Amino acid sequence: MEQDAQLVQQCLQGDGSAWEELVRRHTRRIFNICYRFTGNRTESEDLSQDVFLRVYRTLASYRSAHGGFATWMTSVTRNLLIDHYRRTKRDRATDSLEDKMLVVENKESAGRRPDEQALLGELSGQVQVGLTRLSPELREAVILRDLQQLEYIEIQRVLGVPEGTVKSRINRGRIELARVLQQMGVRPS
Amino acid sequence: MTPMIWTCEHTEERLSDYLDNLLTAEERAAFLRHVPSCANCAPLFASVSHLVKNLHSIAEIDVPPQLVYSILDQTLGPRESFWQRVLRMFRGVGSARFAYGSVSLAVTLVVLLSASGFSFRHPKMADLHPVKIYRNVDAKAHVAYGQGAKFFSDLRVVNEIQSRLRENEPVPVNPEDNLPQRTPGKEPGSSDGTKPGPRQQNRADGIYRSMEVLADELPVTFTVLGGRSAR
Repeated sequence: MEQDAQLVQQCLQGDGSAWEELVRRHTRRIFNICYRFTGNRTESEDLSQDVFLRVYRTLASYRSAHGGFATWMTSVTRNLLIDHYRRTKRDRATDSLEDKMLVVENKESAGRRPDEQALLGELSGQVQVGLTRLSPELREAVILRDLQQLEYIEIQRVLGVPEGTVKSRINRGRIELARVLQQMGVRPS
Repeated sequence: MTPMIWTCEHTEERLSDYLDNLLTAEERAAFLRHVPSCANCAPLFASVSHLVKNLHSIAEIDVPPQLVYSILDQTLGPRESFWQRVLRMFRGVGSARFAYGSVSLAVTLVVLLSASGFSFRHPKMADLHPVKIYRNVDAKAHVAYGQGAKFFSDLRVVNEIQSRLRENEPVPVNPEDNLPQRTPGKEPGSSDGTKPGPRQQNRADGIYRSMEVLADELPVTFTVLGGRSAR
């Protein structure tokens, strides 16, 4: 946390190596958030680049007093993901629910190479499919809490909603995802 | 005080609070009294708690290797490749200034190494040892000083001889007197086995006398010079 704040200060003074260090420290996390939200590797790469580009341009507006750099960056990521979701919503709205399910599943299997699928693992792949069937509000809440393992207060800052709303979304998201996975035939071991 | 009543609606709303340890002690006790024995809540609790456990165990996805470089390119601008950096380092090598500097440095090194006694035909690492270099330079400096001193001493002797010779020569009153006289039937300087002319004889006598005087005054130097010229 403190190291991030120090690196940000060095970046603002024009230190390119400090920015490189920040990119290396956070790329993995940001890419994973994007991938879990979109379920598409190429889109996730593009979105990750957009996130860092926006962070680079608005770095001066970061205030360490308002939370950690990682939380601030996650907030930027979340905003871009919602924007991306809204942009692509029109394409999805034309399909019926069944078609949407089918498209998502086909997209999942077609978008990934066999080795990538093996890398993801069976459970990881099933969870990914389940996540894409959740509403964006519930999806982001589950991703932040259970995959990124953020604290409730951090999620509250990222989403910009009250604590009660955060708790409710996490709870509903988990229950919904568990039901989706049960429908997919994934049973608790 | 009556214990808190936990219902299936409570479970639907606050299941995650239990899993994340956000319930009070009283709420937790009520939860545990109801859920394990409820036909609706027990399977829901099992599936959700299992899901949360699984989600926490899922590893992160590996980042595409080029992603970091793409981000850095977009933010900091294109980065130089390894070969571009190497080329930039050696870009100045082709300039005339660098070539002149290199040659000067090489010549200086050769001169210094030669002066220190380093043999380029039979190079040895031992010759480059500072102590060896110092000794070689010291010896060479002494030899050079000795040779220089001897050279100037010889020059002084020769100069002395020449000045003595000039003293014994008659000073010509009229420059035309020094011109050789033509004799009918014989060219000047011809070596026909006859005796030398009177002027040549006078010159030889003068040199001989000068040498005798010099030998009397500088016996040692003259011997050295005589010996060297004889060799």
